[in-house]
Amino acid sequence: MRRSLLLIGSTFLLIALLVAAWQESRRVKPVALTPTLTGKTEYCISCHGDLAEISKSHPVQTFGCVICHGGEPLALEATLAHSTMRGGKNPSDFSVVESSCGGDDCHSGTAESFSNHIQRGTTSIQATYAGAIALMRYTYGAQPDPAALYGVTSINKPASTTGVTSLVKYEPISESNPQLRLFGGSCLTCHLLVQPLVNGGRYDHFTGCAACHTPTQSTDLTSVDTSTDTNIHKLTTAISYTQCDTCHNRGNYDLRSMIFVARTDQPADRLHDYYQPIAQFTRCEYTLDCVDCHTRDEAMGDGNLYSSKFDIQYVRCKTCHGTLTELPQTLTLTDPDDISFRLALVNPVVELSLGDIILITEKGEALWNTRLLPDGTYQLVGKATGQVFTFKPVMGSGCLQDPADQGSASCHKCHSVKR
Amino acid sequence: MTDPRLSRRDFLKLTRDLLLTASGLLGLGGLLRYLDYQSQPPAPTEFDLGPASAYAPGSRTVLPQVPAVLIRTETGFSVISLVCTHLGCTVESKSDGFACPCHGSRYDLDGKVTRGPASKSLAELRVEIGLDGKLILHTQ
Repeated sequence: MRRSLLLIGSTFLLIALLVAAWQESRRVKPVALTPTLTGKTEYCISCHGDLAEISKSHPVQTFGCVICHGGEPLALEATLAHSTMRGGKNPSDFSVVESSCGGDDCHSGTAESFSNHIQRGTTSIQATYAGAIALMRYTYGAQPDPAALYGVTSINKPASTTGVTSLVKYEPISESNPQLRLFGGSCLTCHLLVQPLVNGGRYDHFTGCAACHTPTQSTDLTSVDTSTDTNIHKLTTAISYTQCDTCHNRGNYDLRSMIFVARTDQPADRLHDYYQPIAQFTRCEYTLDCVDCHTRDEAMGDGNLYSSKFDIQYVRCKTCHGTLTELPQTLTLTDPDDISFRLALVNPVVELSLGDIILITEKGEALWNTRLLPDGTYQLVGKATGQVFTFKPVMGSGCLQDPADQGSASCHKCHSVKR
Repeated sequence: MTDPRLSRRDFLKLTRDLLLTASGLLGLGGLLRYLDYQSQPPAPTEFDLGPASAYAPGSRTVLPQVPAVLIRTETGFSVISLVCTHLGCTVESKSDGFACPCHGSRYDLDGKVTRGPASKSLAELRVEIGLDGKLILHTQ
């Protein structure tokens, strides 16, 4: 009896030790990283060492992971390590962006005003949705003019120079007009704070900064599934039109039922994919990407609150082409600290040098991917494609334009593309 | 003549001994592993750069393990850190100075800022020649 008990005991002992050894062998081997910027050791790369570098400006050896993502830096067990992450997979979600992208004075509150992306992005018309709300309320008689009163969140911006210094959180339930209640129930889904669409579909995107700067869509339209892996770890300023289309060209709202009607066409080329079938556009409007013409202020805001996208969107055909009587505005790069150099470094499709002459907008924003050529023509390099385009000014051409009418509809009369 | 087959008792005894031996070995392995554990060593603050005579006058030698660049002039040695003073990326050595690949800061050959966003010069590190003629670099 005693011998049997000893045998059973030794068997259990061996099994227990084998189980312990097996569990130990399955444990994550700790790989430490001490980023230069924080000087604090973290073990995230023990599991995530295979992730691609998120961008050239954010090398992991310098930034590490925790400064953006949060989490428990010393934990090796996934649940614990991820328990205090900011924004789940997306630390740029506007609910946490101040402490992630904006933390440590990186993209918020810096001395360099052009780096205060958080203040600009969170007050931009794409984040507040104030323009659509104001326009709908004005249309249905709920307010006397289309000036913005409401946003998807409350915002106070006393320093705003547009006349709109605050927005109240929009509560459609309090609307008396049933159409506005329908609008509130169905249509408040087109802003940077909305729940992300990441289901593997053609118009998937993240929220916050990543909505634009993390490319969830492939530009290969011949591919059956154009969406990319939702675990994508990338930030870029080379933003393809396909990313803009995840919000701006995914369908329409039926203004009678206020129901979103998804785009159903399956275009296989850029000409048919860029704009929806009813749109009018010129050749450059579909061969370039949106970000080749539309500026940082237009897309990300300038820190002020606006009532309409048309109040911040100002680039027109003449910005690059001039008019019959005026050449487009240019800037000779003489300051080595000019922001153009920084932007060209982050997205190196062009190599700028002191003395280069680039185009600038009416507000003075640098179109750093353009250049005046010695023969008086201009060159633009696509920010997302790297494709080189040359173009001429209107002045001296046979253009029949009315110099006083610089709206795109005027140019479309002669230059729109047929498809 | 004895029966060559194991008796039940001997079989149980042998099995027990084998199990205990295996357990003992596993336990010993675990103990050795525990005793052998080494925590992550702190980053070195001192680097042996070898004989000073190995560096020709006028030479600039990048030391990626630091990272820094060792400059040998006619009058002596100096070392400039290659850690960008903006956010800490490693700057690249160029013909006219140093360039940060992260945010574009530029420095001249002496490490002085020529283009932002960095506002401070690259740090100068202490280097000395030991009694044995070897160069010793101190990062702190």
